Amino acid sequence: MSDTAATLTQDRQKLEMAALSAPAVIFTIAMIAFPVVYTIWLGFQTFSSTGKQTFAGLANYTKLMSDVEFWHGLWITIALFVLSLVLQLVFGVWLALVLFHAKRLPGIVRSLFISPFMMPPVVAGMMWLVILDPSLGAANYILQSLGLPPSDWLASPTWVIPTVALIDSWQWTPYVALIVLGGLQSLPPSVYEAAQIDGASAFKTFQRITLPLLLPTIVTAAILRSVDLLRFFDIIYITTQGGPGNASNTLNIYGFRVGFEFFNIGYASALMLTLTAIVFGAVLAFNRLRGAVAW
Amino acid sequence: MTDAVNTDRWIRWLNLVQLVLAGVIIMTPTVWMVLSSFKPSFEVTAYPPTLIFTPTLDNYVELTKTTPFLSYALNSLIVTVGSTALGLLFGIPAAFAVSWTRISWPAILTLAARMAPGTLFLLPWYVMFRQVGMIGSYTALILSHAVITLPIVIWVLLPSFDAIPRSVFEAAQVDGCSVTRILWRIALPLVASGIAVSAILAFVFSWNYFLFALVLSNGDTKTLIAAAFNFIGEGSTQWGALMAAATLIALPPLVLAALVQRWLVSGLTLGAVKG
Repeated sequence: MSDTAATLTQDRQKLEMAALSAPAVIFTIAMIAFPVVYTIWLGFQTFSSTGKQTFAGLANYTKLMSDVEFWHGLWITIALFVLSLVLQLVFGVWLALVLFHAKRLPGIVRSLFISPFMMPPVVAGMMWLVILDPSLGAANYILQSLGLPPSDWLASPTWVIPTVALIDSWQWTPYVALIVLGGLQSLPPSVYEAAQIDGASAFKTFQRITLPLLLPTIVTAAILRSVDLLRFFDIIYITTQGGPGNASNTLNIYGFRVGFEFFNIGYASALMLTLTAIVFGAVLAFNRLRGAVAW
Repeated sequence: MTDAVNTDRWIRWLNLVQLVLAGVIIMTPTVWMVLSSFKPSFEVTAYPPTLIFTPTLDNYVELTKTTPFLSYALNSLIVTVGSTALGLLFGIPAAFAVSWTRISWPAILTLAARMAPGTLFLLPWYVMFRQVGMIGSYTALILSHAVITLPIVIWVLLPSFDAIPRSVFEAAQVDGCSVTRILWRIALPLVASGIAVSAILAFVFSWNYFLFALVLSNGDTKTLIAAAFNFIGEGSTQWGALMAAATLIALPPLVLAALVQRWLVSGLTLGAVKG
């Protein structure tokens, strides 16, 4: 084959490859990139009650800075994020260790363990709504049988965020556990053997060897969960719609309500862009962290 | 020596206890939901809650009688199957091209889109779809849900395509096969199981997705998830029907997930962890 013929086939191949990616790329640009640019533009607009649109510059963003609901939503979002992430990572690592030492797991057991996060979050919300009902729910019955005071759970402004964190952790701790389990299974067994020969205790082995080696996997799990936790929506919207009062009004819920209940499209766009920046900021920060703990 | 054996047995027993404990915590709420859905209406809200009761299908009957449950289910099926098909149609060739050329930005683009909060696109979609009169159409719903399915398909399939030895393709190329032909005739059969897993995961996450249908559907095209509010109703008297609805909505994803549980981990982490 001559050189020109070779470059010709190479060019053709490049073209064919581009054609194969094209539908996905064009779809994403049409459905995501273009709308996001449109949102950025909308963020600079204000809409009067008659629907008249005017360019407002940074007005929506200055409004954001002085909006008490925004800062409240940011605080709720961060509180829910930190609480849920800590719960899911701690119990996820614990569950992964338990599963790891169980050696053989029948398919049915695996299916049961993945069932919480394979069901729709909306269904999880519906089911916990019934279990956590303040007057007739099974949860309070159990608490009272144990001699503990009942709680108002989702109906309590104080407890609604911890309760939502609990529901989400019930759903996603097994997911974190499966990721960490994958990490455990890929660790070289020679590491443990060396520790055993040295007579290290189980706890010491975990603290000094397993945990540091697992850190990159744990950070990966943290990234995957953070993306969902920072834009928390489904469980809250189905159970409390941000209530009681505004006690569970996360930024995503707040932005959604500003946009689709109050139809303040300009301000909602500014809110959602801010939340998006927070999500990507967190992902980048965790990615840095993953680089730092890699081995 | 016997000491060591005893310690070993004790540790294994302790681990089993923890495993059972975790299993009970994980399963109890779901079991409670299913049990409640079979309780006679006066027992669902009984306090203290009852465990022994005569199971009945009344709640399921009431659900189908008082709500258009079946038409919501059909809507969910149309949107989910449509968006999964679209995700596969766009995602399979894209994953193949990314794996072959090692030019990864198309894959990263779809993933970044998936990481942004859905409300970010929902606002402009709403404005745009309203302008062309597509609010409430299946097309709008399927297109929006394909944003969920596309990155799943691409990222689940990438490792499968990567696993095919290059020599297989190179041999086909020497024989004069075009790239498209290599994808269809050689690569696709080799990644069939990966395609099945990606299709099931795409189906599950499209089925479970709440936000888009909440805004983009109307009374006729409402999906089961978006209709969940209709089942919650007012007061606690409808708990039986509510739990019946919850059970039925959760059933398809749970059954499908059970089928592919073995391959789920690497798929669910979008390739971040080799499971």
